[in-house]
Amino acid sequence: MKKILIIEDDSFLQGLEVAKLKKANYDVITASTGEEGMKQIMTPGIDLILLDIMLPVVDGFEIIKKIRETESTKKIPVIMFSNLSDDKEVKKAKDLGADEFMVKSNFTLEELLEKISSLLK
Amino acid sequence: MDEIEKLKIENEELKKMNAVKSDLISISAHQLRTSLSALKWILRMFIDKDLGKITSEQEGFMQKALDSNERMIVLVNDLLTLNHAENTVIKFNFKEVNILELLEQTLFEFYGESHKKEVELIFLKDYKDLPKVKCDEEMIRVVFQNLIENAIKYSNIKDKVVISLKYSEVNKEIEISIHDSGIGIKEEDKSKIFEKFFRAENAKTKDYIGSGLGLFTTKHIIENHKGKIWFVSDQDNGTTFFVSLPTI
Repeated sequence: MKKILIIEDDSFLQGLEVAKLKKANYDVITASTGEEGMKQIMTPGIDLILLDIMLPVVDGFEIIKKIRETESTKKIPVIMFSNLSDDKEVKKAKDLGADEFMVKSNFTLEELLEKISSLLK
Repeated sequence: MDEIEKLKIENEELKKMNAVKSDLISISAHQLRTSLSALKWILRMFIDKDLGKITSEQEGFMQKALDSNERMIVLVNDLLTLNHAENTVIKFNFKEVNILELLEQTLFEFYGESHKKEVELIFLKDYKDLPKVKCDEEMIRVVFQNLIENAIKYSNIKDKVVISLKYSEVNKEIEISIHDSGIGIKEEDKSKIFEKFFRAENAKTKDYIGSGLGLFTTKHIIENHKGKIWFVSDQDNGTTFFVSLPTI
C-alpha cells in the first residue's frame, strides 16, 4: 500500500482528502501545520506528498525546500495543492521542485487521484 | 509645490490604493476558493456515491448545486485574471516574444478539449519566421486562451475552428484571427460584447457558467499592448475574432 502524506491546515478539506485517498486504498498520514509537516516529512516510507501552501507557522514553500534539500526525501513526488494561482506562486513552486501545481477549486478529488496515480507509476 | 509634483504624489497614492485593492481581491478570492473547493468536493463525493447511496432525485439536486458552485468558481477565476491584468498594467513584464510559438503552445493545451467536443482545430501557419512582438507573454497567452476557448465552446459538433496569422510589413503588425462556425453574435449584442459581465442569451444556451469577464479582460490586455481587437459575426453562422499586435 502506497503511503501519502497530506499537509493541509483546513480540517474540512483535509478530512475529504483523507476519505477519498483511503477509499482508493492509500495509507494516509496527515499534518495540519507547517511545523508539524516539517516533522512528518521525515516519516519513513512516504511515496508522495500533497502539500498546501498557506499554512500556519511554516508555509508550503519552506517545506518543499526542506524536502528537496534532504537526502532521504529529495526524490519524493510532491503535488502542491493550493487555492493560490498567481504566476509567481506557480513558478516558485516549480522552481523549488514541485512535480505538479494544482488549484484546488479547479479540480475534483477524482482528478487528484488520477494525478497521484500517474505520479506513482 | 508645483502641479507636476502634486500629480506625482497623487499618482503614487493611487498606485498604493490600487495595490491594496488588488491584495484584498486576491486574499478574498483565496478564501472564497477554499469554501468553493469544499462544496465542490463534497457534492462530487455524494454524486459519485462515495458516501453511500442517494436517490436519483437527491442526485439531481446535488448536480444542480454542483453546477451552481462551478459558476462561482469560474467567476472567481475570471475576477482573479482581470485583477491580475488590471494590476499588471503598471508593471507589464514586456519582453520579445515569438507569437507563432506562443500560439502553438496555447493551441496544444486545447487539443484534448476540442477532441472531446468533436471540434477540429486547424492552425494555418503560412509563415516560418515572423518578427517578434514586445509583450507580456503570460497576458497574451490569456488572450489566446480566451479566444480559442470561446471558439470551441460556441461551435457545433463536427465544426472546424481555424486559427491563422498574417503579417503586414507596411503596418509592422501581426494579425491573428480565430474563426468558428458556431452560434455567432446577434446584431443587437455586437456593441455590448466587450462589456464587463455581459453575456449574450444565445451564448448562455451553450455555456451557462461563463462570467462575462473573458472578452472584457481580453480587450483590456490587447489595448494595453497598443494592439487592436475586433470581430465579424453572423448569427448562426459563426464569428471571427481578430487581434493585431505591433511588431518590433
